[in-house]
Amino acid sequence: MLERGGETVTSAHKANLSVIGDQMPVRFERPSWLSNILCALFLLFLLWSMSSAGLSLSDLLEGLPNMATIAGEMVPPATDRAGPMANAILVTFQMALVGTVIGILISIPVAMLMARNTSPHPIVRHVARSVVSFFRTVPDLAWALFFVASVGLGAFAGTLTIIIDTIGFCARFFAESMEEVDPGPSEALASIGASPIDRIVVVLLPSAMPSFINTSLFSLEKAVRSSVVLGLVGAGGIGAELAVSMEMFRYDQAATIVIMIFVLVFAVEQFSSVIRNRLLRQNV
Amino acid sequence: MNSCAESLTMPRSVLATTSQLKVSGLAKRFDGCSQSVFSDVNFTISTGQSVALIGANGAGKSTLLRCCARLIEPDAGSIILDGEALSSKSGSELRKARNRVGFVFQKHCLVPRLSALTNVLHGNLAHRSGPRNWLQGFARQEDRGRAMDCLNQVGMAHVADKRCDQLSGGQAQRVAIARALMQDPKMLFADEPTASLDPQSGDDIMELFSSLVKVRGLTLFFVSHHIEHALNYSDRILGLQERQLLLDTPSQSESLPSLRAFYA
Ligand SMILES: Nc1ncnc2c1ncn2[C@@H]1O[C@H](COP(=O)(O)OP(=O)(O)OP(=O)(O)O)[C@@H](O)[C@H]1O
Ligand SMILES: [Mg+2]
Repeated sequence: MLERGGETVTSAHKANLSVIGDQMPVRFERPSWLSNILCALFLLFLLWSMSSAGLSLSDLLEGLPNMATIAGEMVPPATDRAGPMANAILVTFQMALVGTVIGILISIPVAMLMARNTSPHPIVRHVARSVVSFFRTVPDLAWALFFVASVGLGAFAGTLTIIIDTIGFCARFFAESMEEVDPGPSEALASIGASPIDRIVVVLLPSAMPSFINTSLFSLEKAVRSSVVLGLVGAGGIGAELAVSMEMFRYDQAATIVIMIFVLVFAVEQFSSVIRNRLLRQNV
Repeated sequence: MNSCAESLTMPRSVLATTSQLKVSGLAKRFDGCSQSVFSDVNFTISTGQSVALIGANGAGKSTLLRCCARLIEPDAGSIILDGEALSSKSGSELRKARNRVGFVFQKHCLVPRLSALTNVLHGNLAHRSGPRNWLQGFARQEDRGRAMDCLNQVGMAHVADKRCDQLSGGQAQRVAIARALMQDPKMLFADEPTASLDPQSGDDIMELFSSLVKVRGLTLFFVSHHIEHALNYSDRILGLQERQLLLDTPSQSESLPSLRAFYA
């Protein structure tokens, strides 16, 4: 009895399987010959790149004593120029802060031009996307050189660079997070005739807000790190001090600067994670 | 046929007060699908009527409901909503026509990060735009009061300050219904409004709808898989099957078995 019951179940099962057999998805897609060739080409290119990148164990070994000497000269860190250095690091942070805030404020409307669900027209969208990706792909040092040449040496050139950098980064991620917002609530308000502006303010902005906050804080951290380097090309901030110390072989001063940079970046990262947790829990 | 001929000879103003929604020759096929969801759908819903729409999963009920307000663009057919042809409108005219039409969706569609009270307040956006209807904190005192009252009607006053992503499915659905009440529409489309509610709450909500129909003259067009709801709370039942509107009968002439047979 039992056996027979078992048999009927299996045969029924089999009959069922043969019916749905051609609907059954395959377990894994076989990689095509094209993707195999691309993989092989990539590996070859990687090997070639290793030689071009100048990977060299002997150079590394020869450099080690130099590194040790420099590291030795770095302790104890010099405090003779601590005052001007502290001032420079403050300016560095202020450049980063102002540049990020202005950049974020510009990014929000720009992102609305870029996002599929808010853009007034596909042409506008493509133009905005192209401009922003141009901002992003040109490295910040190149922007800094450009602004130093056009508005002169100093913090203003650095701030402009941070603004451009922030737009390139924030507008892109703001737009993406707006596109990811569930269209349901917006459609629900459209169904009762709410205006597009109302729907953007009421649905899109609050829903994308966590991601806006994350992106903004991350972009502040990024700006602080990049504003440190901008001084190397004369765009204001602590970088100039660092360059001078290194050129004059004052590694003990350089050490002070590195410590200050570390403290600044660390503080900004801590601050931003506290803010992140606070803001994301809020009720509106 | 007869009533159709009559309405053609009637003056427009009379037509507007008797037929809330008139759909003719409606058809929809989604891009990339070989078959249409439905075609040549014709029906009229009079003002103050409560009409149920039934049909199997995937029969096209939600699609039909959305097409009636052109939330989904139908491929063919004309829609006359509250005496105005919807088919020719666009932009702000279309928005204006939708002001008096409320929607409760199969999925609740609240803004997750905003409070229940703020979401209810958004019902006002149908009539007035601007910051005072964006957040409950900015709202006029009387609007806040009305929003609380709407929440109270669906038994959700106690979650007014809770964020909507922290509500249960049924609670959220009731808040969405409160938002529709806030809007105070002339006609309400409700897509399975009670699907996520427990039996008692489901009955309560249907009672609430039916009292709005009786007291305020609301026109109700609702989808339900709950045959008793269709029978008890509607004047008329429409049924979608095999890409057609195959059923259009007064509710009194139907019974549980006869409707159940419709799904077979
Ligand atoms: N955006 C879409 N694109 C393509 N096909 C769709 C889309 N929306 C719905 N469909 C298809 O149209 C048909 C009708 O869907 P619809 O949601 O209207 O069904 P329904 O009657 O509301 O079903 P249920 O009872 O499950 O809610 C289904 O076959 C569905 O797969
Ligand atoms: Mg549906």
